[in-house]
Amino acid sequence: MSKILTYLAVQDGKIKRASLEVLSHCRALAQEHGWTVESVLLHPDARSLATTAQQYGAETVYYMDHPQLQAHLNAPFLAALHAVITHANPHVVAFASSEAVKDMLGALAVRTQAAVLSDVASFHIIAGGVEAKRPVMASKLIARTQAQGARVLVSVRAGAYTAEEAPTEAALVPLPFTFDVDTLKQQVREVVQDALGTLDLSETQVVVAAGRGVKDEAGKALVTQLADTLGAAIGASRAVVESGLFPASAQVGQTGKVVSPDLYIAVGISGAIQHVAGMQNSRVIVAINKDGDAPIFNYATYGLVGDLYAVLPPLINEIKQVLPTTPE
Amino acid sequence: MKIAVCIKQVPDITAPLHIQNGALVFDTNRMVLNAYDASAVEAALVLLENREGSIHLFLLGPDRAKETIRKALAMGAHEATHLLVPDDAALDAYLSASLLAEQLKQHTFDILLCGKQSQDTDAGLTGTMLAEHLALPYATNAVGLTLEDDLVVATRQGDAGQEIMALETPCLVTCSNDMNNPRIPSIKGIMQSKRKPVQTISVTPDATPSTQVMGYEPLPERTPGVQWEGEPLELARRLVHHLNDEARVLS
Ligand SMILES: Cc1cc2nc3c(=O)[nH]c(=O)nc-3n(C[C@H](O)[C@H](O)[C@H](O)COP(=O)(O)OP(=O)(O)OC[C@H]3O[C@@H](n4cnc5c(N)ncnc54)[C@H](O)[C@@H]3O)c2cc1C
Repeated sequence: MSKILTYLAVQDGKIKRASLEVLSHCRALAQEHGWTVESVLLHPDARSLATTAQQYGAETVYYMDHPQLQAHLNAPFLAALHAVITHANPHVVAFASSEAVKDMLGALAVRTQAAVLSDVASFHIIAGGVEAKRPVMASKLIARTQAQGARVLVSVRAGAYTAEEAPTEAALVPLPFTFDVDTLKQQVREVVQDALGTLDLSETQVVVAAGRGVKDEAGKALVTQLADTLGAAIGASRAVVESGLFPASAQVGQTGKVVSPDLYIAVGISGAIQHVAGMQNSRVIVAINKDGDAPIFNYATYGLVGDLYAVLPPLINEIKQVLPTTPE
Repeated sequence: MKIAVCIKQVPDITAPLHIQNGALVFDTNRMVLNAYDASAVEAALVLLENREGSIHLFLLGPDRAKETIRKALAMGAHEATHLLVPDDAALDAYLSASLLAEQLKQHTFDILLCGKQSQDTDAGLTGTMLAEHLALPYATNAVGLTLEDDLVVATRQGDAGQEIMALETPCLVTCSNDMNNPRIPSIKGIMQSKRKPVQTISVTPDATPSTQVMGYEPLPERTPGVQWEGEPLELARRLVHHLNDEARVLS
């Protein structure tokens, strides 16, 4: 019987929601085609995390819990994934797209002799392979793309599917991690955490994003206050990442992250296609911009023409009044 | 120090385009050096600012892509190899990486630089495929790049923070456009580029691509929104009212 294997990425001690979304989709595909759906976990705490995989419907969970798999580094993770894929021999391997996955996917395709589709908005199984929709040309349009082969790797953008529980009695299969650390020709010297706060931009339901209209620390404080009031993660345009006002990990767009929250509030952002590429699938988009002709208004559900320095203070107040309790 | 840089010519995605019978039509035929590759060329030039060395470009593409090679030579690269194919639409990342790897195996270099993705397809696969073919240690999505004795130090933008990586040479690094602002070629650079050596080699992929675009579709339509002007307090109240009662995103 054919198999579909889902890679469950771990961040801050938890399986990423985006990975569970992909697992839920894979379970539905497996049901439709009479396949089995399996998962792989690579983390020192993999064994305890495997219960989450069972809750979301994986029928077998392969895991490696070697200490080397605590933090991302391409060579050991590649070796581990290669070993699991060789052992499990799945037809399709699905990933939630992230910088860590982008750091491995092409190399893994070569090593496992698989066809590969990256950053798809959706995918399904066809005879002899996988068909996917990929946003291209800075997400101006969608390419319907097919991958043919005995093995296909596919990475999926966050928010493409909904995670749904479907408990199973999954078999837990430990596999040995045999990578020889002494062969490493690269090492991570240091990780500089630059995320604003603890909320993961690609996993929260509300994002408040700042652009060049946010000129200074006072503007940044207003944006932060609005985000805190809403329990939102903070995003940014390239312009304010370049100026140093916001960290690079907050960048949304073609170079930065792709997000699709329930609510995206663009503050002082013009709406260049490379920015829009990263946020146009948000359910509700609010734009606050003093230029009524800014392209961002073409995408906005609600557009406010005004100076952000004047609009944000009353907006924060009004939101506080309707929210039952204000998150810290 | 020998630096190899892989570059690609891509359509100008900021120009208008439309879909005709499922095919993609660019209203202008403007082709450009992929922005991420321009950052890789700039990174190479910066590494050699106080150091002896040379920059060798590798481009896989059709005949018209030679303009793009000239542009990167005009920025300051020293020589180029053009792997000529009749039409790059018949290639996917896998075939491109195989053809580039085959050529690169015949050269020596300390660092191989690529853009982190190409602006038109945003697939971001070729770089790590090349690293695997050539068995090189690598870092992707670099926003900083320096040399320290025998090591290449790359700052990689990861999911939550920046990973400072030290790599032995030879190694491969894929560059983000957040690393630098690529220089505009000077008149002198443009003049000199005409005399720089470009070797052209015709290549043919030994397989059909495993991935293929079957057709293009417009994005799903968004319901048109509304736009309000007015006093800040009035705007704030109206928005909160709509977010709460209509969109139901405040809870
Ligand atoms: C290959 C490539 C990749 C790129 N990737 C990305 C990416 O990932 N993400 C990204 O964001 N960009 C990206 N860009 C850059 C992009 O093209 C734009 O330059 C950038 O998004 C502009 O940022 P901005 O909207 O903040 O600035 P601007 O375009 O300068 O817009 C600022 C806006 O703020 C408004 N404003 C000013 N003052 C106020 C005020 N007081 N109140 C209200 N409004 C005000 C102005 O009216 C204006 O509309 C990329 C570019 C390239 C070439």
